[in-house]
Amino acid sequence: MKRLFPIVLLALLVIPTARASERHPTLGELEGEVMCPVCETTLDQSSSPAAEQIKRLIATRIAAGDTKTQIKDRLVTEYGAAILAAPPHKGFGLVAWWLPVIGIVAAAVTVGVGARRWARSREPAPAGPPLDAASERRLDDELRRFEG
Amino acid sequence: MTRSVRLAAQGLAVALVAGLLGLLVWRVVNDSNTSVAQALKDGRHPTAPVFDLARLDGHGRFDLASLRGNKPIVLDFWASWCVPCIHESKRLEAALKQYGDRVAFIGVDTKDFSGDARDWRRQHGITYPSVHDGSGSVLAKWGGLPIPRIFFIARSGKVAGELIVEEDLPRYLREIAAS
Repeated sequence: MKRLFPIVLLALLVIPTARASERHPTLGELEGEVMCPVCETTLDQSSSPAAEQIKRLIATRIAAGDTKTQIKDRLVTEYGAAILAAPPHKGFGLVAWWLPVIGIVAAAVTVGVGARRWARSREPAPAGPPLDAASERRLDDELRRFEG
Repeated sequence: MTRSVRLAAQGLAVALVAGLLGLLVWRVVNDSNTSVAQALKDGRHPTAPVFDLARLDGHGRFDLASLRGNKPIVLDFWASWCVPCIHESKRLEAALKQYGDRVAFIGVDTKDFSGDARDWRRQHGITYPSVHDGSGSVLAKWGGLPIPRIFFIARSGKVAGELIVEEDLPRYLREIAAS
């Protein structure tokens, strides 16, 4: 339970911030999430006329009370999905979000299995069954003769 | 790990690599398809790539193929944020008065916000119809940025040329009007 506490605390801090950002987006944060269609950078890195046009549009929609999703949907309708700096969390866009996670998990599993096998191969071979009395006597005789 | 599971995993890995390789080949092949502007520079006159886009005025769609064999076309790629487009679109508007009965003038508003584009047309008195290519996917097939880009398409559907210097406008208009 103690281990879960920081995660719960982090979630309690992050979720309200994300909700506020969705309801009341700022121009600054959207400039980092929207591409300039003519310069292949995000809006915050461009002062081209096309970028300035989109910044004006975003500012107008924020003033009108639109949510972040509504503004992004409007931009996608006008310019296509490539206007968003990150792929959407739906449809084919999910592949871009989940493929790296799947790749990391698959790599971790592969490394884990490999490491376990390698560690096992280095363990000493298990001892065989105990010798019977006659074999033990014979072995002792052989050793005495060898030492003597 | 049993032999069958190992074989399946290996097969999956090989399929994944083959898929990625296929994707790479597809991308390279598609990239090698030259644009209309590049074909013209190479001295070729390709058939105009067709498109079917929403009209900027909101009255349905426009299909470029519908004019093939009927009328020569002047195709004007523009945007409301493009300052040089004002001059070129006004020249086309003037040419429309002389050639409008024989040649179709079509604007392609590209990588632009449609509301601003409509205002821009009103502000500059542009009357020939325009379609909206917000993503710029049609522009890419014709040569991409920068704009303005103006192409002349003969009645047959072959691209006669692109406007490079001022004198190209009357020259190509005469040529395609007679096609």
